[in-house]
Amino acid sequence: MEGNADDAVFGHFGAVAGYALAARRAMHTFRTGPETWKQIAVGQRKWANLNPAATLYDRPMTFEDYYNARWIVEPFRLFDTCLMTDGGRAMIITSAERARDLRHPLVLIMGMGQHNPSYDVHQATHLAGPTGAKKAGEMALRMADITPKDIDACEIYDCFTYTVEITLQEYGFFGAGEGEDWLKNGTLEPGGRMPVNTSGGQLSDGYYMGLTPLSEAAMQLMGRCGNRQLGPVTNTKSPEIILCSDNGGILQTHSCIVLRRS
Amino acid sequence: MVEYNKPLPNMNGDSKEFWSGCKAHELRFQKCKACGHVRWPPSIICPMCYSKDTKWIVAEGKGRVYSFAVYHVAYHPGFENDLPYVVADVELEEGPRLLTNISGCGGGEVKCEMLVEVTWEDITEEFSLPKFKPRC
Repeated sequence: MEGNADDAVFGHFGAVAGYALAARRAMHTFRTGPETWKQIAVGQRKWANLNPAATLYDRPMTFEDYYNARWIVEPFRLFDTCLMTDGGRAMIITSAERARDLRHPLVLIMGMGQHNPSYDVHQATHLAGPTGAKKAGEMALRMADITPKDIDACEIYDCFTYTVEITLQEYGFFGAGEGEDWLKNGTLEPGGRMPVNTSGGQLSDGYYMGLTPLSEAAMQLMGRCGNRQLGPVTNTKSPEIILCSDNGGILQTHSCIVLRRS
Repeated sequence: MVEYNKPLPNMNGDSKEFWSGCKAHELRFQKCKACGHVRWPPSIICPMCYSKDTKWIVAEGKGRVYSFAVYHVAYHPGFENDLPYVVADVELEEGPRLLTNISGCGGGEVKCEMLVEVTWEDITEEFSLPKFKPRC
């Protein structure tokens, strides 16, 4: 899927630059850029500051810090990119019947969807949407028989800030280019109306691939999240339904899953 | 010629015609004789209509920047002295999109949809690379 080995001939390596190509095309296609992405980077850091297990727990961040950080591959600065972490997350999946006998509250899978555009990044026409998130999200919501209005929080695969924006946009939380307005005034932060990546996510908690969002959603629905627990502790809605995403390659594979508290 | 310290193309049966063309400063692509689709990367079968009936054409070397990224980190020591450098996805007038570099202007001057044309960089006895510069 990463495909063409001759990319290296032109100095093209890895995921940061692949997503940078996607983000740059998005900046040409609709209103987005650092003004949008800083809300994601700073907002998620506020969640990490409530999570003692997060890599960047004790590192508050301001918009100024975001802009002052060095470029990695433009248009991405350091805090647009996820962490590299050693570690792991595990989840036990079993039948609802067996889960009822276990110690923790039950979390149910309401719906899931997958869609994989799969083209090599240079041939891709989906970099600025519609990405795999569009169809995968529709499938998952249809299976769950809900609309985005029913969702209390999101745990979104966040390899880069732009990934969070395009995923939420494709899921229908806002229209193309409306992300900056939707995100401003702390929408996704503690106390916000749609909490996103409540552990700090891969940007500020730790990179455990799809398990960073998925395990956090399950923990939140079980009520096991301490100071970052959704509900009265963080002045947010007590969660019944949480939407999770995962994606791979350069926006080439996408999974969406909806979890519900029993 | 000074020793070239960047990765070289991995020429294989599919890409040999392309890289031989580059050596002659020609951008060669496969065109499907059944449906007319010009494809990249090279392959034995047309991804649009599955026909194996193919001819090679020479592209004019004119296109526009679909997207680009400006590297401020060298992920290979051969690129350290080039920082910051621009990797771009260039859409050629004939259709294919080529991953390449933009030379002849700084990262701040590159824009999506900017018109560009090919410029050749002879890197070794065997290889020349198609790079792109702003079209005057």
